[in-house]
Amino acid sequence: MNTTRNTQFTPNLDARHRRGFIWRILFMAALMTALVVLVALMFSIANDSFGYVVVINKIDPERLALNVINERLLTMPNTQSSADDTALAESITSDPNGIGFFGSAAYQQNRDALKPVAVDGITPDRETAVSQEYPLTRPLYLYTTGDILAQNQAANVFLNYLITHANEATEAAGYLPASEADLAQAQQNWLQANPTLPIPPGTWPAINPDGIDGRLTISGSSTLYPLTEQMLAQLAEAGFRAEVSNENAGSTAGLAAFCRGEADIAAASRPIQSDEIELCRENGRFPQEYPIAADALTIVANPALAFLDNVSQAELAQIFAEAETWQEINPAWPAAPIHRYIPGADSGTLDFFAQQVIQQELAALPTDDLVRILAANISVGRGRALEREQRFYQDKLVFDNPTAWNEACSQPKGARPSGCTAPPRTQAEIYDLVLQEVVQPDVVETFPLYDTLLKGAAIQHQMAAKYPNGSLQFRSWLTKDFITDPQSSTPEAAGVRTAILGSLWVIAITILFSFPVGVGAAVYLEEYAADNKLNRILQTNINNLAGVPSIIYGMLGLAIFVRALEMITSGALFGLVDSTASANGRTILSAGFTLGLLILPLIIINAQEAIRAVPTSLRQASLALGATQWQTTWHHVLPAALPGILTGAILAVSRALGETAPLVIIGASTFIVVDPSGPFSKFTTLPIQIYQWTARPQAEFRNIAAAAIIVLLVLLLALNATAVYLRNKYSTRM
Amino acid sequence: MAAHSQAAPVITTADTPQTLRKKRRWGETIIQASLFICGMLSIFTTVAIVFILVSESVNFFTRQQWENTNKRITAVVDETAVQIETGASGAAISAGDVIRLGEEIMVVTGVDGNIILVDRGAQETTAVAHQPGVELFRGRRVNPLAIITTTKWAPQLNQFGIWPLLLATLMVSTIAMFVALPLGLATAIYLSEYASERVRGTLKPLLEILAGIPTVVFGYFALTFVTPLIRAIFGVDSVQIFNVLSAGIVVGILIIPLVSSMSEDALHAVPRALREAAYGLGATKLETSLRIVVPAALSGITAAFVVSISRAVGETMIVAIAAGSGPKNFELGKDGLFSYVLNPLLSAETMTGHIVRISGGDLSYDSIDYNSLFAIGLMLFVMTLLLNIVARRFVARYREVYE
Repeated sequence: MNTTRNTQFTPNLDARHRRGFIWRILFMAALMTALVVLVALMFSIANDSFGYVVVINKIDPERLALNVINERLLTMPNTQSSADDTALAESITSDPNGIGFFGSAAYQQNRDALKPVAVDGITPDRETAVSQEYPLTRPLYLYTTGDILAQNQAANVFLNYLITHANEATEAAGYLPASEADLAQAQQNWLQANPTLPIPPGTWPAINPDGIDGRLTISGSSTLYPLTEQMLAQLAEAGFRAEVSNENAGSTAGLAAFCRGEADIAAASRPIQSDEIELCRENGRFPQEYPIAADALTIVANPALAFLDNVSQAELAQIFAEAETWQEINPAWPAAPIHRYIPGADSGTLDFFAQQVIQQELAALPTDDLVRILAANISVGRGRALEREQRFYQDKLVFDNPTAWNEACSQPKGARPSGCTAPPRTQAEIYDLVLQEVVQPDVVETFPLYDTLLKGAAIQHQMAAKYPNGSLQFRSWLTKDFITDPQSSTPEAAGVRTAILGSLWVIAITILFSFPVGVGAAVYLEEYAADNKLNRILQTNINNLAGVPSIIYGMLGLAIFVRALEMITSGALFGLVDSTASANGRTILSAGFTLGLLILPLIIINAQEAIRAVPTSLRQASLALGATQWQTTWHHVLPAALPGILTGAILAVSRALGETAPLVIIGASTFIVVDPSGPFSKFTTLPIQIYQWTARPQAEFRNIAAAAIIVLLVLLLALNATAVYLRNKYSTRM
Repeated sequence: MAAHSQAAPVITTADTPQTLRKKRRWGETIIQASLFICGMLSIFTTVAIVFILVSESVNFFTRQQWENTNKRITAVVDETAVQIETGASGAAISAGDVIRLGEEIMVVTGVDGNIILVDRGAQETTAVAHQPGVELFRGRRVNPLAIITTTKWAPQLNQFGIWPLLLATLMVSTIAMFVALPLGLATAIYLSEYASERVRGTLKPLLEILAGIPTVVFGYFALTFVTPLIRAIFGVDSVQIFNVLSAGIVVGILIIPLVSSMSEDALHAVPRALREAAYGLGATKLETSLRIVVPAALSGITAAFVVSISRAVGETMIVAIAAGSGPKNFELGKDGLFSYVLNPLLSAETMTGHIVRISGGDLSYDSIDYNSLFAIGLMLFVMTLLLNIVARRFVARYREVYE
């Protein structure tokens, strides 16, 4: 009997314990779900706040900086420029203080009369150019597209032949051979355009041009023209029968013809520029770059300048862009003036020199240059508006004429432009303005943080092919500018300054209204109210109000504060209508009162609990000493209950800070760039901005919504931390 | 010295008050009165809410919408005439209708062929002469019955069937409860019955963080995280970008902390003796929790559920962002009940979502749209109020039993 019971009982007990264990895990899993959601929420916010973006600039900022430097080079004293390298060489030969630079081919032609100057101790020759040791080596390019190579057999074979034989041919034509890396890159590009070749990977297929026909159009750089001509002659010998047109048009014209679809291959002595890529893209062409030869920019001087054998890049920059005499650069050198002979403004060589030697970022340019860029690229009207907003120089005007300016500034205080009194813009501010007005960076594609971190390489690859003129950058949408800038219709420039100020104003009104009233009501209910019907109704009513959806409070606010009390809430009654407001009741005051009513029940209930927790003995002691009811409450009950009251009130205020629906209903402004100036201003708040931005379909608005959420959560965190601090401070004092 | 100190203190009559009657302290009275006013402000708030919702709703039902009858008067009508001659074309007019000619409003007392008998100058308008060719407008009011018998909400078209909005609200709330009830209750049981003090101390604040996150952030979460997840599971074609399921799930997540904290309070209130009795009879922890403690706390847990439903019904920003922007109008019988009307994968606009969307735009105060929002608001208010009152009854019950 006993044993049978045991055999049944034990497995039964085991089953019960097993069940208990499984359920315990389930209960825990439920709790964990909530925490996982919290993590997912934080993840999705961070995911959208940071990540890769593809930015396309309307004008390349490097180009702007380059133009400024070119301008500076060309306007230096004792500087002559010429598009003709031979003329430059002659001038330097005949001037004992002459110095200049041009391509290696031109130097080779005039090497007897000129003295080459080593840069950083390295003389330009074949060896140093191939190893890229010589700092002023630049590649020469052919441009075509994958589509052309796939469709035009003649172009494909021409390029294949060129890549195969380039280094033999370049020397014969007086060029330097392309570097190993460049040639490997060219081969790689060609192989990618020919994915179906039946060859083992990693080997280079030299295609026999014999018998290939079709049409081939080449256009471009005069520097490269002899090379392409020689290649075509060799091809013709090998049996290449395509109908070829090779045009010597210059890099810029050649690239333009190529992008317009008039040429199959463009030859260029400089890399393709952002605006040219954009032109190509508009015509459905995605240019591929083939570096096929190199050129060493050679610094040449009159042989009379015996001291000038070797210069550093820094000295080179000084020679051409700063100093007037040799002595300024090196005290050991003579005090004679420097006579410069440089290529003309449209020359790719000058660009290359400026880029390589002077190397100045747009952001680092001085104010004068930035203002000049601005003046050259925006309309006078726009410039005048900007100047009236805030001027560029303390002592002179750039866009406005003095008469109109003085007239505008003699107006009364409210009506005159802010530029009259504000300090002039700083260099950093003008740089921002140049970015905004001239460079106009546009985010064309964004990636979440998750993809950026895990698929970064694939994205870089894809985007390089999709937007050759775009730059892929890691962007944090939450920046200092995001917090201090006002709202804007372009997400890249938008900020939350107006919204933060709006939120703070509204919360201030809410606290001023609901804290005293709420604590007063709690004191009444706990300390004064007799247990009669009225007070029971009062208590029930407060509990019920706490359960009313916030949206109903919004409707209450709309009907009472915005409509019925419009005279008061718009400030019209006090003659205080804000200049930015369109005199209606949709103001900070209305919003503050509405949210005040909303959190009033919460404050009352929390304060009641805190007051109830104060021991009765404290009250009795006070009353026994002859204190009145109010003296007891004010001096004993309230101080004792204060930590609890404050904690409850701050929790209620954080609820108000995050509240959105009632403010949408009472009519927060959706687009407002002016800071709120008082309780009668129009307003927007952080949650409203988040709502507006989340509701937009464009991805970038999602990004700034996420960034704004971080700002909101940080504000809430700060508020709650204050609650904890206050509670600790006051409870230790007691 | 000693003798002196032992002497009884001398009290002169000048030190004692004339009477011992309570002194009237005006300061105290004023303070008490102002505190009372603070308390009464909540009553005013309630009264104002009810008054505004009801009065605007009354406007909604009594507001006249003028529709063109395409009838014109054929003869001159002077200030005093009570008969109007009209053309035969256009909509029929019957006795009791309210009509408008120009600015003047009249009540129709009878119709005799093309002659209409009227009372002039109704609704505070003044009777004036009208020239032939003036068009007749007929006043129409919202039919209260049509609100629950029709299934299209389109205020511009004079269609006021509440069902599309109401069904969306109910769907969101139902989905939310399916998420929040099991998770919230299980969390409460774990925290109250299983977790050690230390675990409780660390995990509960995390739940409170979840409760403190603004709803607009949850809306963002629904749209950017949950919706793509749902679309990945059910297929992009069958799930719309805005859908009720995503909104419902996230509303559910939002109210998990509410369900769990109220349920936990209820579980805590169950006396220890009950648990110990169960253990004494050999019950396991699970059996004690599920068969003894939960049933004992059932009224409190029910209250938690009811309050949560009320919270879900009134939740606004999540549904405004993630559920859809436009009432899902339908025709009963024509549109499939489960494939369209109750399909949570499609977008639908809830009552709260509708109020936010309409009032977010440029809403003119004197329009049927404006009034209709308050009618919806009234319905919302009544629903949540009833739910809260029911919940309070349940809470009161468990308090009575155990405290």
